[in-house]
Amino acid sequence: MVSVVLSGVRKSFGTVEILKGIDLTVEDGEFAVFVGPSGCGKSTLLRMICGLDEVTSGTVAIGGEVVNDVPPAQRGIAMVFQSYALYPHMTVAENMGYSLRLAGVDKAEIRSRVATSAAVLRLDKLLDRKPRELSGGQRQRVAIGRAIVRDPRLFLFDEPLSNLDAALRVDMRAEIASLKARLGSTMIYVTHDQIEAMTLADKIVVMNAGRIEQVGSPLDLYRMPANRFVAGFIGSPRMNVVAAVVGPDGRPVLAGGAVFPVRTDLAPGTRIDVGIRAEHLSPAENGDEGTLSGAVRVVEHLGSDVFVHLAVEGAAYPVIVRIGGERQVRAGDLFRVTPEPSSIHVFDAAGLRVPTRSPARSAA
Amino acid sequence: MTMTSVEGSAAPMRVSAHARKGGLKAHERRVGRLFLLPALAAFTLVILFPFLRALAVAFTRSDLQTPEPIFVGLANFRAILATPEIIGAFVTTAVYVGLATAGTVVLGLGWALILNQSFRGRAVLRAVTLIPWVLPSTVTAFVWGWIFNSRFGVLNAALVGVGAIPYPTAWLSTTGGAMTAVVITKIWFSIPLFMSFFLAGLQSLDREQIDAARVDGAGNFALLRDHILPHLRPVLLVVIVLGVIGNLQHFDTIFALTGGGPVRATSVLSIEVYRRAFDQWDLGMASALGLLWVATIMPAAYFYLRHLLKGA
Ligand SMILES: Nc1ncnc2c1ncn2[C@@H]1O[C@H](COP(=O)(O)OP(=O)(O)OP(=O)(O)O)[C@@H](O)[C@H]1O
Ligand SMILES: [Mg+2]
Repeated sequence: MVSVVLSGVRKSFGTVEILKGIDLTVEDGEFAVFVGPSGCGKSTLLRMICGLDEVTSGTVAIGGEVVNDVPPAQRGIAMVFQSYALYPHMTVAENMGYSLRLAGVDKAEIRSRVATSAAVLRLDKLLDRKPRELSGGQRQRVAIGRAIVRDPRLFLFDEPLSNLDAALRVDMRAEIASLKARLGSTMIYVTHDQIEAMTLADKIVVMNAGRIEQVGSPLDLYRMPANRFVAGFIGSPRMNVVAAVVGPDGRPVLAGGAVFPVRTDLAPGTRIDVGIRAEHLSPAENGDEGTLSGAVRVVEHLGSDVFVHLAVEGAAYPVIVRIGGERQVRAGDLFRVTPEPSSIHVFDAAGLRVPTRSPARSAA
Repeated sequence: MTMTSVEGSAAPMRVSAHARKGGLKAHERRVGRLFLLPALAAFTLVILFPFLRALAVAFTRSDLQTPEPIFVGLANFRAILATPEIIGAFVTTAVYVGLATAGTVVLGLGWALILNQSFRGRAVLRAVTLIPWVLPSTVTAFVWGWIFNSRFGVLNAALVGVGAIPYPTAWLSTTGGAMTAVVITKIWFSIPLFMSFFLAGLQSLDREQIDAARVDGAGNFALLRDHILPHLRPVLLVVIVLGVIGNLQHFDTIFALTGGGPVRATSVLSIEVYRRAFDQWDLGMASALGLLWVATIMPAAYFYLRHLLKGA
């Protein structure tokens, strides 16, 4: 169990700079999740923490010790790869015991440690099989088993569940959560999956184009995204973002004339973006404060929820609204919604979050 | 893999109407067989007929003193077993094939491992590596003949230059030197092909598997022993069998370089057969020897064909 501290980490492949200065601390025993669009450098960063790739500049410290020149095997790390990377010609037991064998641990000890880990992951009956004789979920468990056998100080996971089907992914997510609870090791986890990030993480690190956009707890990122990128990336469906202008009284005004019930300190006439999540818009009565109205374009029934896509005047993209599953809405209907004032986000022209106040309190 | 995905999907497979009804009709099958005729004719003419002729000649006395071949039964084979030089040729062949095959496999693999690293100029080096492959074998023999040349050779110049030997050596005139020379020439000639096999094999090795092994603590030697060689096992098998077959048959560079000498030191079976047939015109002995020679190739060829057919 160790902390990981990255300071000014940069990475270039040839002349292309992939990571542009990463500063990050992952505390002892913390579960950190890296998220970000494809190609933003998550795997590259993970490989540098692991020692598989060298940093171009900056330092990587594990447990207070700078490990830039320490080879992967001596960093006390285990990594679970997206492709599982099992050794195809070795049995499950040999796969799991390989690192111990290389370390010169004696056979009886290897056998007992493999057996212990295998029991935890329900692999005991598969120990003599080769990887090609296993299902995807079983392979995944072997990959995790291979990691825990070594009793590492730090776990690295690179999209470990992305090759599994949806149902298996839910199971394995629970398995990783229980692993986290039982081992208490520091873990860094890369994923594309919102739900994995929100449910597993103590700390989410949102990356974009080689930089960290924001670091925080899942709820922090959901409630207070630092910028438009994080707002759009965290949460599903994506946050609705519409272009607006600051009105004379400080309230954002949409091109179609709708007024949002929040106030900012920006000068009237400033161009801004207003963000509101689907779950923070509720059906409204005519004449309510700050209602948005538009024709229903698409209705998506997901069982418990219904997502309605509204063509709101002045918004470039349809505004998505979540409503209860029992409500009847048809394409073409006129629909009105009103935003929850405390959940309205305002971003300036540079995309940074702008503080807002509720209009009622400022009037008092 | 494609098959299972096709079968698994709902889309019906598109096949010809005849095939769906359980194969070709009888007259179509007859027409189909006609198409085999040219190949069959060529095979009979070029391979089967000469082979059967050789088979027949092997049991005859057929040399310059006997205008008409005389059937002699197994006499030629008995003569072969009683001729120490010919037994020696089998030994020489074994040494040559063993050294040349081992050398090609080891160096080809090593070279492939080097060319599989990423470094500047790799593409150029890969291209250059293929040159020996495209050179005609007589040119290869000529080039190496000059390298080993006692008076003007690069090898002597280099060795004398660095002080490894006091004065130039006539490499091709010593028995050990001649064998070394023909083996090196063959290795040089075969490396490109073998290297390509190994390189293709290495490129299909999962990079994450190697990464995982490094995280598990594998050094370069453990990587080679536990991951690269097991991965290359099928390639290795094919390469060794092909190497053995190729080296057993090899003739031209040896003939051009040493002609089998000095004192039969490099007189492998191919040279021996040639000499019996075209120096001494003893066709009976040459054919019998040829048959024995083919028999030594058979096991290797059998393994190779079985492997190929299983793979297909
Ligand atoms: N060995 C390499 N040489 C050159 N460029 C590389 C190399 N490895 C990665 N890159 C580049 O670095 C960038 C980041 O790659 P990386 O694999 O870290 O992305 P990622 O965030 O993990 O993406 P994904 O979510 O798709 O896995 C990509 O643009 C990629 O093309
Ligand atoms: Mg990645």
